[in-house]
Amino acid sequence: MLNGLMLPALMLALLIGAAWRRLPMYDLFVEGAKEGMRVAAGVLPNLAAMLCAISLMQASGLMEALCGLFAPLFAWLGLPREVAPLVLLRPMSGSASLAMVERLMREYGTDSRIGLIACTVMGSSETIFYTICVYMSVARDRRTGYAAPCALLGSLLGVWLAGRLF
Amino acid sequence: MLQWMWFGMMGASLIYACICGRGADMLAAALAGTGDAISLTLRLGAGYLLFCGLIEIMKGLDIPQKLNRLLQPLLRALMPGMDARAGQAVTMNLSMNLLGLGNAATPLGMEAVRSLDSLRESRPEMAHNIYMLLILNATSLQLVPTTVLALRTAEGSADANAILLPSLLCTAASTAAGALLGMACRRLEQRHA
Repeated sequence: MLNGLMLPALMLALLIGAAWRRLPMYDLFVEGAKEGMRVAAGVLPNLAAMLCAISLMQASGLMEALCGLFAPLFAWLGLPREVAPLVLLRPMSGSASLAMVERLMREYGTDSRIGLIACTVMGSSETIFYTICVYMSVARDRRTGYAAPCALLGSLLGVWLAGRLF
Repeated sequence: MLQWMWFGMMGASLIYACICGRGADMLAAALAGTGDAISLTLRLGAGYLLFCGLIEIMKGLDIPQKLNRLLQPLLRALMPGMDARAGQAVTMNLSMNLLGLGNAATPLGMEAVRSLDSLRESRPEMAHNIYMLLILNATSLQLVPTTVLALRTAEGSADANAILLPSLLCTAASTAAGALLGMACRRLEQRHA
């Protein structure tokens, strides 16, 4: 309901505002879309590098091995080990982690503890590495300093909290 | 950092595949990955075109300046010393994220990084502002997780909204923790510099 109304309302307010102020809104939109095209073209090579690596991790079985490796850590955090692949995938790929959430819900139920934790983790976190990768693709100086470790630790706190809440 | 992460992911996967006798699958998997990049870019590209177009209209209505004024106090504490152009892109990026318009937030974030990056030469301390921007974006600011809600509804959940409040709490906790850690790291580095 909220989602169904938020975007149309925003867009309508924008268009009415532009009409009120007699702005050349068509020209403005086309001008902006040109910039969008440039952005999309710049993102593709970066995405290719990242998705290639993730695909290799899954196909080689390394992803599964890592999940097994992290099982004790998850037990310690009070999280079901079934969500381990999701938590490991989440910082790297939005589409892969979304597919994982869907699989977990199918297998254990949408309103099971696993399903609820999976959805909360998915809804309250970001694709950390992808975000950093895309944002830094326009910088000449690609150093990211302490950004990734801080974001990862912060997100881990969110994941732990998701386990506490359900 | 990106370079070594990528090297680690690729290298470890290739070695592991050879050990497990899956070496023959690697080319197909690599191509599937780059192929996914094309289809994902097409899907993202549609969003970029739409939202960049709408953002241009927003700019015509001076909405960035208004949001900028609203978020200014918070921004001064987290990312001091920015010029008007960078500050505007950052605040627009943060507001779009809060509204869940991730597709609109991305190009704005990139614009913010670009302008901060160009300041970096004359003012090296701008690097910390780039790091903080990355942390805020990478710990998720979204108030309503629209995609997950849609997925829960599609899967026939009896109570799709059950995750709304928990998600909000978790994302608030993770963003606050990330930002605090980032500020601590900044202090540490500047003390040692």
